[in-house]
Amino acid sequence: MRYLDLAIGKALDLGAEYADIRVQKTSDEVVMLRNLSLKNTSHNVIYGYGIRVFYQGAWGFAHNNVFSEKAVLATTQKAFEIAQLSARVNKDKKLRLAPERSYIAKYETPLKIDPFTVPLSEKVELMMETNRILLGYEGIRQAMFYIISHKDEKLFASTLGTRLELNTQWIDPMVSATAVTDSDSQSRTFDEGGRSTGWEWVLELNLQEKARQIAQEALIKVKADVLGPETRRTLILDPNHLGLTMHESVGHPTELDRVLGWEADYAGISFATPEKLGNYRYGSEIVNFMGDNTLEEGLASLGFDDDGVPAQKWHIIKDGILREYGSTRDTAMEIGLDYSRGCNRATYYYDQPINRIPNLYLMPGTKPLTPSELIADTEDGVYIQGRGSFSIDQHRLNFQFGGDYFWEIKNGKLHRPLKKVLYKSCNPEFWNSCDAICDERFWRPFGVINCGKGQPSQSARMTHGSAPARFRNIRVGGSQ
Amino acid sequence: MNANFEKIAAYIRQHCHADDFSLYIRCTESHETRFAQNRVTQHLAGPTFSINLTAAFDNRTGSASVTQDDPASLDKLIQTACDIASLNQPDPEFIPTEGPKELPQVQNCDPATKELKPAKMMDIVQYMIDQAKAFDATVSGLTEKHFHQHMQVTKNGFVGYDESTDFGHSMTLKKNDVETKVSYDSKSYGGFDQAAEFNRLKEQAISLADKRDMDATPIAVILRPYALQDLIWYMTWMMDRRSSDEGFTPFTGQMGKLFFGEKFSLYSTLDIPAIKARPYGDGIASKNTTWVENGVIRNMPTNRYWAKTKNLEPNHIFNLYVPGADATEEQMMQMVPRGLILNQFWYIRSVDAKAGELTGMTRDGVLYFEDGKVRHAVNNFRFNEIPHLATRRILALGPSIPTACSAMLPSLLIDNFNFVDKTTF
Repeated sequence: MRYLDLAIGKALDLGAEYADIRVQKTSDEVVMLRNLSLKNTSHNVIYGYGIRVFYQGAWGFAHNNVFSEKAVLATTQKAFEIAQLSARVNKDKKLRLAPERSYIAKYETPLKIDPFTVPLSEKVELMMETNRILLGYEGIRQAMFYIISHKDEKLFASTLGTRLELNTQWIDPMVSATAVTDSDSQSRTFDEGGRSTGWEWVLELNLQEKARQIAQEALIKVKADVLGPETRRTLILDPNHLGLTMHESVGHPTELDRVLGWEADYAGISFATPEKLGNYRYGSEIVNFMGDNTLEEGLASLGFDDDGVPAQKWHIIKDGILREYGSTRDTAMEIGLDYSRGCNRATYYYDQPINRIPNLYLMPGTKPLTPSELIADTEDGVYIQGRGSFSIDQHRLNFQFGGDYFWEIKNGKLHRPLKKVLYKSCNPEFWNSCDAICDERFWRPFGVINCGKGQPSQSARMTHGSAPARFRNIRVGGSQ
Repeated sequence: MNANFEKIAAYIRQHCHADDFSLYIRCTESHETRFAQNRVTQHLAGPTFSINLTAAFDNRTGSASVTQDDPASLDKLIQTACDIASLNQPDPEFIPTEGPKELPQVQNCDPATKELKPAKMMDIVQYMIDQAKAFDATVSGLTEKHFHQHMQVTKNGFVGYDESTDFGHSMTLKKNDVETKVSYDSKSYGGFDQAAEFNRLKEQAISLADKRDMDATPIAVILRPYALQDLIWYMTWMMDRRSSDEGFTPFTGQMGKLFFGEKFSLYSTLDIPAIKARPYGDGIASKNTTWVENGVIRNMPTNRYWAKTKNLEPNHIFNLYVPGADATEEQMMQMVPRGLILNQFWYIRSVDAKAGELTGMTRDGVLYFEDGKVRHAVNNFRFNEIPHLATRRILALGPSIPTACSAMLPSLLIDNFNFVDKTTF
């Protein structure tokens, strides 16, 4: 596209030390069904470009939705003028960019069936059938189903000579049932959080069968007991629960911009400060976390980030010790790194990219261990599936999580269903209490499609994953 | 009225042959400067623009949106929305769009804020950084201004248009172990006093310097207005009429009953010029609405479908006003033996939707008082609390102040606020 060269040439003429342009078309198809009523069937396109200029240790970023030579030149000029204003403030404390080479590359999400080519009638038929299954259970008062199909088509060019064409996609189906009694209302949800793949995944899921399961479980849950007062208990956490826990308690604390205090005013900072690298015991010896933007079907597997840095795989926590962060070109240099881990991502064309959590997952246990064996080895505990309430302080230390489905474990067996379970813990106590992780046969990914961060707020995606894992001596109890 | 918006609306009226349609056009011109640790880390500007069309054939609907307004893009928009509607299943909850309405006259736009220059905004950032350095501290935050234009047009003749401005400045100061924040958020830049704002931040930081450890326990709290704002948004989101009627919220069967504390009232109002009031929402004209009056639930937000089904009047929350009283913080501290003063909450989430229980953390400074005086700062706490039950424990209210573009709230003295955990800072 001629506008790429135009913007880059103009930025260099103005005196930019570095500049890039990202032309981005984002397409979303949303189909949402509630109690057989289509609440929202929409196809949305957000299309424009953002131009970043780096000048004398400061950024300027301008965006536009008008495609013309005049508009591109004016937007580049605006980005440069903003960078000049920023540089005035930064004159004694300049930002620096980690070195990077140039790339000419193309990346596409591997998929078999493009969700945007599947007829709407086929999607709605599946959703209607699933809604009917849920509402066929007496006591289920609300049946929800949505499918979001998402596509980003990006062209990226930078003054380094990089030229990228990145076409990425993901899809996220979610089915939920809510049971109501005279005194309570409880929901049960099937939600894997989205994957970078095609419609074939939706077909493989057998959502009709999942609907039967969650309807039955919602009816069990609404009549379940509430756990008594908070005491120290053992937890076994399923991968589709643990995904959110690791997102909040490991993912965010190891974003380098938070570590540096760049999110101090809103999203918060991090306890995992640079002097802890290489010596801080974040978790027990079996705790190993990878940052991996090459993960198959990972939501952050995009080929390159919005700095033009290629996807990588690295240890964030190794044998329980904090090793490294997720970084960007402008944050890496602040701690003396001469490379970025490629974690700079923007949501839409009009967003300036920020340091984001990569695909981040807990490595499976190295010894053979099944979930059944793990439960059989647990005398007194609670097994939690699915995501529920979540809240963590702005240093990423103290947290409280709920879940979606709970069973009390007694003497190695699932004893009784529970509802309204909450657990409280903090870093590093929580990850140091991990004493068992099932093996790789039981490792499953869990996607996050709505990670909010930044001012102005942006919503990012990434994939987490784990096998079922056990945590000892955690404060667990029922809510009020 | 934006001439380009009118041109787009005319094109859609001429070319969209659906049985019914609703068109939304939005444009926002923004300038945002992020600063952190005494330097600028991000700086962005530009317009965002979208055109959203929902078309209907009989009771089958489809929506589409685009970000370009040339004829080819508009034709594509019409075709996509109409194609989806044609292919879609009938929606048993469909109701036709609204017709012409008389809308309230509101003044949500401040011309001086609209014209605020980037260089002036950068001067504010530079001033705050200079002040922080002089105080041997670091400051991080955001200075932003926005000019919004919004239009809704329906096939049945509804036309709504609104222009509004926002100016915001928030900043967090860190000095040694003290972190605290102040923010200004208004439709008008005119009330912003940078020196007063930094002094407020500095005074807050000084008051927090002597910090001691304290365990979590139910205790009286003085919620400063910004803390109440954090809490009240979540509470109002639970007050949906349909969800309540269907049994999903704590407000089921409580309409017209004393359910909140008698000292608590909540309104949406067109009569306070200091806060913005959207003139319409989904074709519903905004009008003064009492949500809670002296603890009695008078209204709950009701969408057009539910209103028609239940023979109710549709309404919506277009701003929040909680009337206060005249108690000062000093007087509140005299009313209970001991308690905490809270600046802000953070990371509030629902714990139990049916019970209306929320969890969250305190943030940006907690002060402990005893025998009528502030004694020292303490660490941050986690609460698990049911806000409507907490209003029954209101002992006193302070004066209401604008806390955001569309909220005017008081400080509250609440007894036995349910703290359940603490954090390490």
